[in-house]
Amino acid sequence: MCEGSECKGAAKGRPDMKPVYPKAGSYPEFATLVNRDNAQVDRRVFVDEAVYQAELRQIFARAWLFLAHESQIPNPGDFIRTSMGEDDVIVVRQRDRSVKAFLNSCPHRGNRVCMVDAGTKARGFICNYHGWSFGIDGGLRGTDGKVYEKDEHFEKAQITLTPVAQIDSYKGLIFATFDPDAPSLADFLGPFTFYLDIMLDNDEGGTEFIGGAIKSEIDCNWKFPAENFVGDILHAFWTHQSGAQAILGGGVDLGKRYDELAFQASVYGHGIETNLDKVGNTRTLGYPELVDYTFDLVEKAKDRLGDVRSRAIGAVSSCTVFPNFSFLPGQNTFRVWHPRGPGKIELVVWTLVNKNAPDHIKEMYRKGVMMTFSPGGVFEMDDGENWEYSTRVNQGFVTRQQPLHYALGMGSVDLDRDLPGHIHKGSLNDANQRMFYTRWAEFMQHDNWTDLQNGETAPPEKSVKVAAE
Amino acid sequence: MLQILDIAKPFGDLDRPVDAETERAVTRWLYTEARLLDAERYQEWLDRLIDPEIHYWMPDMETRRRDDPRGTFCYGEAAYFDDTHKELTIRVRRYNEPSAWADNPATRHAHLISNIEVNETDVPGLLAVHSAFTNVRNRNEADQDIIHGRREDVLRVVEGGFRLVRRRVFIVQNVLLSKNLNTFF
Repeated sequence: MCEGSECKGAAKGRPDMKPVYPKAGSYPEFATLVNRDNAQVDRRVFVDEAVYQAELRQIFARAWLFLAHESQIPNPGDFIRTSMGEDDVIVVRQRDRSVKAFLNSCPHRGNRVCMVDAGTKARGFICNYHGWSFGIDGGLRGTDGKVYEKDEHFEKAQITLTPVAQIDSYKGLIFATFDPDAPSLADFLGPFTFYLDIMLDNDEGGTEFIGGAIKSEIDCNWKFPAENFVGDILHAFWTHQSGAQAILGGGVDLGKRYDELAFQASVYGHGIETNLDKVGNTRTLGYPELVDYTFDLVEKAKDRLGDVRSRAIGAVSSCTVFPNFSFLPGQNTFRVWHPRGPGKIELVVWTLVNKNAPDHIKEMYRKGVMMTFSPGGVFEMDDGENWEYSTRVNQGFVTRQQPLHYALGMGSVDLDRDLPGHIHKGSLNDANQRMFYTRWAEFMQHDNWTDLQNGETAPPEKSVKVAAE
Repeated sequence: MLQILDIAKPFGDLDRPVDAETERAVTRWLYTEARLLDAERYQEWLDRLIDPEIHYWMPDMETRRRDDPRGTFCYGEAAYFDDTHKELTIRVRRYNEPSAWADNPATRHAHLISNIEVNETDVPGLLAVHSAFTNVRNRNEADQDIIHGRREDVLRVVEGGFRLVRRRVFIVQNVLLSKNLNTFF
C-alpha cells in the first residue's frame, strides 16, 4: 500500500504499483569459495542452494543479460518470451521501433500473460485468469467487466507489466538488466566489444538469427557450460574426438602456428579463446563450400577488423559473455544457459549469420549447427553428460569438500600483445576460467557497481586505449 | 518432386488402407527397424532399411497461439534432424567411434511402435505410413529419458521389402526434456 511521501501517481488509499527492483547484498563467505591464489574453485558453488539463491540476487538480478537478436522481432508487436535468470520475460517491438521487455506476470494475481514462445504483430497480452489486458508497451488497457471502472481505489494508469530497469542493444544483440544502477551496456561489456565484433561486424549489413530456437534441459549447474565456452578448448580433443572423426575423418587440429597465434582474452569475466587458424571451427560443420565462404570472408574482413580478428571469424574458438551467454565463432551457434536451480539449466540455441550471406550459405549454417551443436549434434551430444556428472557428484558430502583444479597456464600472462583485456598465451589454458570465477566472486562480494567495475577483472589500462582506436 | 515426398507436406486423409497382407508386411518392417535401433545396429539400419533418397526430418515444436499462421513447426526452421543420407551417415559414423562417450557405456534403448496405419498413395510403389512411438533411453544407474511422438513415413516398395524414403517425426515436447538425442526415431 501507498505510504509516506514517496508515493507518486497513486491517490491516497490506492495501492502503489511501482516496479520493485531488488537491492544487492554482499556475500563475502561465498566470494571466498573462489581461491585465486591456488587457482581452485570450491565445489559448493555448483550445488549449494544458498549460493544459488545468492547468484539469482547478485548476478542475474544485476548483470546485463542477453534477451534476443533484433532480427527475431522485426516489426511492431513482434515478440518473444525468454528468461532473465529464472524470471520469465516478454521482449516486444514497439510502434516507434524501440524494444521493451517486461516480466511475464500479471500484477493482479501473478499469472503469466503470455504462454507462447513467440508471435508476430501482437496488439497486446491478455491474462487468461481475469482478462486484464496489456498493450505492447506494457500498460494496462482494460479489465474484464466493468467492476473496476466504478471502484475509486482502482487507477488503471499506474498499473503496468513490470518493465526491466534498462534495455539496450549492441550490434543487433538486445540485452537488459533489472538493476537501475547498473552501468550502461557499453560499460558492462567494456572493451570486450572488440572481440564481439568478430562475429557481429565482420561484414557490412549486420547479422541475423535464422531458423528459430532449439531448447533443451541439462541437469547441470549453469556455470559448467558457461566456463566451458569462456575458455575450455582443451575438452574438444577428448570429449569431441568421436564427432571430429565422424565429420572430419580426424581429430581436432590446432595447426603448426598454435604457439605463435593462439590466445585467451578476458574483460569483466567475459572471455574468448581463439587459435586464429581462420577456418578450424567452420570446417567442423562439414560443408567445404562454407569453408571457402569463410576464407573469402577472412580476406574481405581484414579492412574492417584487422588481421587478428579477421583470422578469428572461423577459427577454433569459443566465447562467453558473463554470466550465461555464449557462442562459437565459425560454427555460429549462439546460446543462453538459463539457470533452473543449482542442478539444472534450460539451454536455448540459435544460429547467427551475416544478413548479406547468400541463401544457400545460410542454409548450410542452419544444417551445420543442427549436425554439430544441437541436442542431436555429433559434438553437443557428448557435452551434456560431462556437465551433469561434474554437477551431480557433489551431492557427495566428502566429494564436495575437494577443491577443483583450475591451474593450467598460471604463468602464461601476455603483457606484450597489443589486444584489449587480460591476455594469456595459448588457448589451451584455464586463464579465462579463472577470470570468469573471479568475476563471479566479485559479484558475490560487492553490493555496488563502483567496486564491481574496478576490481581484478576490469580491463587493464592499455586495453581501453586499444579498443578506442 | 512428387508431392508425397515433399517433407514440408503433411499426409492428406489416410482413407486408402492397404490390404491386410501389405499391412502385415509393413508392420513387420517397422518392428524390425525398432529392433535394430534398440540394438544400436545403426549401420545395418542405414544399409538395409534406408533409401538413398531419404529425407529424415524432426522439427522443433514451438508453442504458438492457435491463430498464429506459422503454426507449431515450420520446414526450413530449427530442427533436431533435417537429414539426407549424407548426414545420417555422419551420425552413424560417430556411433561407430569408440570415443562416443555419451554411448559408452552403452545406452539401453526401447523403441515401442504402435498406432500403425498403412495407406496407398497416388504413386504406385510408395506407401504412406503413420505410426506412434515411445522411445525410452536409460543410462548408467538411473538416467532415463522418455520421448513420445508420431511419425509420417513414406516407404518405397522394393524387391523383398521396403525402404524408408521420407520420415517426419513430431515429438510432443517443446523444451526437449533430455540432454541429448543419442538415438533415431
